[in-house]
Amino acid sequence: MTVPNIVTIRDLTKTYQQGEINVTALNNISLDIEAGEYLTLMGPSGSGKSTLLHIIAGVDRPTSGECRVQGIDVTRLNESDLADWRNQNVGFVFQSFNLIPVLTAFENVELPLLLTRLSRKQRREQVNTALELVGLLDRRHHLPKQLSGGQEQRVAIARAIVTDPALIVADEPTGNLDSASTQEALGILQSLTRTAGKTVIMVTHDPKAAAFGSRSIHLEKGELVNE
Amino acid sequence: MIIATFIAKNALRNKRRAALTILSVAVSCALLVTLLTLQREMTIPPESEAASLRVIARNKVSLAQPLPAKQLAVIDKIPGIVAVSPFSFFGGNFREETVTSFAQFAVDPARFQNIIVEGKIAEGSYDNFIKDRNSCLVGADTLKRYGLKVGDQMRFTGTFYPANLDLRIAAVYQGTVDDRNVFFHHKLLDELLGDPGTVGTWYLRVESADVANDVIARVNKAFENTSAEVRAETERAFQMSFMSMLGNVKVLIGSISTVVVFTLVLVTVSTMSMAIRERFRELAILKALGFRRRELFSFILAESFGLAALGAFVGIGGAWAFWTFLDLQTLTRGFLVYFEVTPRIMATGATVAALLGLFSAIAPSIAVARMSVVKGLKTLD
Repeated sequence: MTVPNIVTIRDLTKTYQQGEINVTALNNISLDIEAGEYLTLMGPSGSGKSTLLHIIAGVDRPTSGECRVQGIDVTRLNESDLADWRNQNVGFVFQSFNLIPVLTAFENVELPLLLTRLSRKQRREQVNTALELVGLLDRRHHLPKQLSGGQEQRVAIARAIVTDPALIVADEPTGNLDSASTQEALGILQSLTRTAGKTVIMVTHDPKAAAFGSRSIHLEKGELVNE
Repeated sequence: MIIATFIAKNALRNKRRAALTILSVAVSCALLVTLLTLQREMTIPPESEAASLRVIARNKVSLAQPLPAKQLAVIDKIPGIVAVSPFSFFGGNFREETVTSFAQFAVDPARFQNIIVEGKIAEGSYDNFIKDRNSCLVGADTLKRYGLKVGDQMRFTGTFYPANLDLRIAAVYQGTVDDRNVFFHHKLLDELLGDPGTVGTWYLRVESADVANDVIARVNKAFENTSAEVRAETERAFQMSFMSMLGNVKVLIGSISTVVVFTLVLVTVSTMSMAIRERFRELAILKALGFRRRELFSFILAESFGLAALGAFVGIGGAWAFWTFLDLQTLTRGFLVYFEVTPRIMATGATVAALLGLFSAIAPSIAVARMSVVKGLKTLD
């Protein structure tokens, strides 16, 4: 059975100006990612892996080329449509968790749902389900400062999955975690691909973290070096 | 959670800064309301319906120049006038005071009662005033301020005339726009001054507001080309001419108010910019989660507007309560009797605060709109 591609990238190039120097972050990249894959992007600093992740997630734009996610060329969407698209289709997990400090774990997870038409009751049910999935339902009324780093990252994962997106992007999600918390977070991401059919794209420097993925690709100087 | 909760939690995340911002808006709004009220009190004398029917005729050369008492017979015959009385400023100091804040006027009591018709006087007491040449009619505010009562003596040392007054309080009036003044018999003043046959001004009441201008023209014309030409004008115009002696108070207070508002804008814009700059990373997260520019602008505007509104409520409400319940007359030694924070002034203060809320949200909103998610995420906490 052929698994459809969730991401199709063709001839993607990203250049930007750094002072007087023209830097090529991505150079003519073409890549297909199948639905349900757990893809890890590896490479040294400045290789363009985060830039590629940002373009796939619709928070950055390429200089040229095409990036289709679920059949939609996200490079052609305007700001407003792109924001809607991100809300419905992409879940973000960041290295430094990026929870809103004045909101409880429950409220942080609920944030993306405020943009939907769900009722308060429906939102509560979805948030509880997401928090239960990451094992933090009992900590839902805690503020981020009352949680450990690993718990904060699990709340961030719950926030990423609460809208039930097809794609989850993670930018070095274990960079600030100890080894136990790293195992927990990576285990959750892995189970999302295996049990819920989500596609996870993760940037990492850590080969141990990359081992959790179903496929790993390497970038150097903005180019794919092997797959 | 609802959006309002999210905005409120953001606005109050740094409680000390939020409190100081609210306080700075409150103090500035209170100051603005106070200045606008002061400007109003100093440039617009209080009005009453009865005052619009009153006319004052003074010497055309100067207010300090007296008028001949014999003019009364001429004025009495001018059509449209209901009552006329001599009205001479005595300018004495009460008791041991060096500056007395209420005025004393010599009038003809019998004629005068038909001029201050809005004054409420205890029944029968005005007759006592008419009958006793050494008595006086006193405003209720002055009576209260000095703890006086009917029958007490009031002693005045003349500063304008070389004479002193010793008056018995016969009646008390209240309900006029200025319940501070003391009125006494002109005959007593004439006697003390050796019957000079002059008066300070003439105080008239006309039939209706419609004929006031005609009466003024007739009075002025009646004494044209005489040795004592008069200048008649409405009571309000007469008061305004006094106000003009204070200089361009309106411009002065207006300038101070502008500086207050400008400073307020700087403080609030700076605070809001600081608050938003600290949250650039979080706002980038919100953008990544799907919040659009207009939603982020709404958050910033609501936060800024909320802080300004709270400040305005505290400041304007505080100023209203302060000036309403303060015994201003005692505090200013009678310089200010009324200091009414009108709904119009409060609305002006509230409008300034609302505009402030809007204005201080603009710069941070533009910065957030321009911010890319990637750059925002790179911002350090």
